[in-house]
Amino acid sequence: MTSPSDPIEGLNGNGQAGRYYGRGIPYLPIDGYPGKLIAIEGTDGVGRSTQIQLLREWLEVKGYGVIETGWTRSPLMQPTIEIAKSSNTLNKLTFVLLYATDFADRLEKEIIPALKAGFVVLSDRYIFTALARAGVRGVDRQWLRNVYGFAIAPHLVFYLNIDVKTLIGRVLESRGMDFWESGMDLKLGDDIYDSFRAYQLKLLREYQSMADSSNQRRNPASPR
Amino acid sequence: MTFSLLHATDFADRLLYKIVPPLKAGMIVLADRYAYTAFARDATRGVDRQWVRELYSFAVRPDLTLYFRVPIDVSVDRLMARRVKLKFYEAGMDLGWSANPVESFRLFQGKVLDEYDQLVQEFGLEVVDAKGSITEQQRYVRTLVTQHVKMSRVEMVDDEPV
Repeated sequence: MTSPSDPIEGLNGNGQAGRYYGRGIPYLPIDGYPGKLIAIEGTDGVGRSTQIQLLREWLEVKGYGVIETGWTRSPLMQPTIEIAKSSNTLNKLTFVLLYATDFADRLEKEIIPALKAGFVVLSDRYIFTALARAGVRGVDRQWLRNVYGFAIAPHLVFYLNIDVKTLIGRVLESRGMDFWESGMDLKLGDDIYDSFRAYQLKLLREYQSMADSSNQRRNPASPR
Repeated sequence: MTFSLLHATDFADRLLYKIVPPLKAGMIVLADRYAYTAFARDATRGVDRQWVRELYSFAVRPDLTLYFRVPIDVSVDRLMARRVKLKFYEAGMDLGWSANPVESFRLFQGKVLDEYDQLVQEFGLEVVDAKGSITEQQRYVRTLVTQHVKMSRVEMVDDEPV
């Protein structure tokens, strides 16, 4: 699906670390900012927040200033996204755009100021989550890559890889399967277990294809 | 950016629920503002012009787009005569160009009008001189609709087997 002209290819592919992937935000030049952006990607329940917590501790002990930012956590959009998800009117286009708005808010208000001030920014999920979810839902990839052309290419992207069997075990042990993480909006089936399995398999395939098209080091989140 | 993306989200929602279904049914949809408003306003706020156009590439291209043009002074005078309280974002107060709402409105909307003038060229918008009387304008609008929209072909359809 990707061509050399794509601003975003694979996990970080063509992006130049610390620069905008595409057209960027003209009124916010970011060149030469001293901070570092580290993205931790992976599907629901894979253990991202645990790794981030441990990484943060280690970095702070070493003396770095660290901030965390996470998908849907913008003060502007979080309540809106919750309301939208609880109704039946969300479609794949508005779904994608709400997340993009949340990301734009966090980019402008959290990520860019922190990079400017020399912090290490740990991002729990990044735009690859959006690309994977949109891929599963059949949203035009080229369009979405253009939309996310205002994103900054991270200095490092971790993809926490897992197989669906291990994932199911972990999710059931902790908080159980939820509507959206099971892709119930896609109507793959009435049974939440079957839907979770089918949906997460598709998601993992999307992530994997992005990881394959970049030079990521493999370090599975699940011991095999 | 969030201003731009929130409006795009609202637009996507209306497109899919309010615009596409009546078009499929063969009806005429009158849209009060369209993507061109976003092109003009977002560019004035410093968002990349090409990016906004790509963002809205999911929009349906209208059969006819009317642009009601007035000089900025006329616009300000009309609003002042009605003692309208200028809205924060409408006056571009978020940009911090002036602490005075009227002055800010003049500066911001003045630049928005410049953007519209570019859009007229780029997308072939039909310009209606909005300085004239309401009757004159409506007469011209009706002429344009007659010329540009093949009204004879517009009829309700329900031909697909359900």
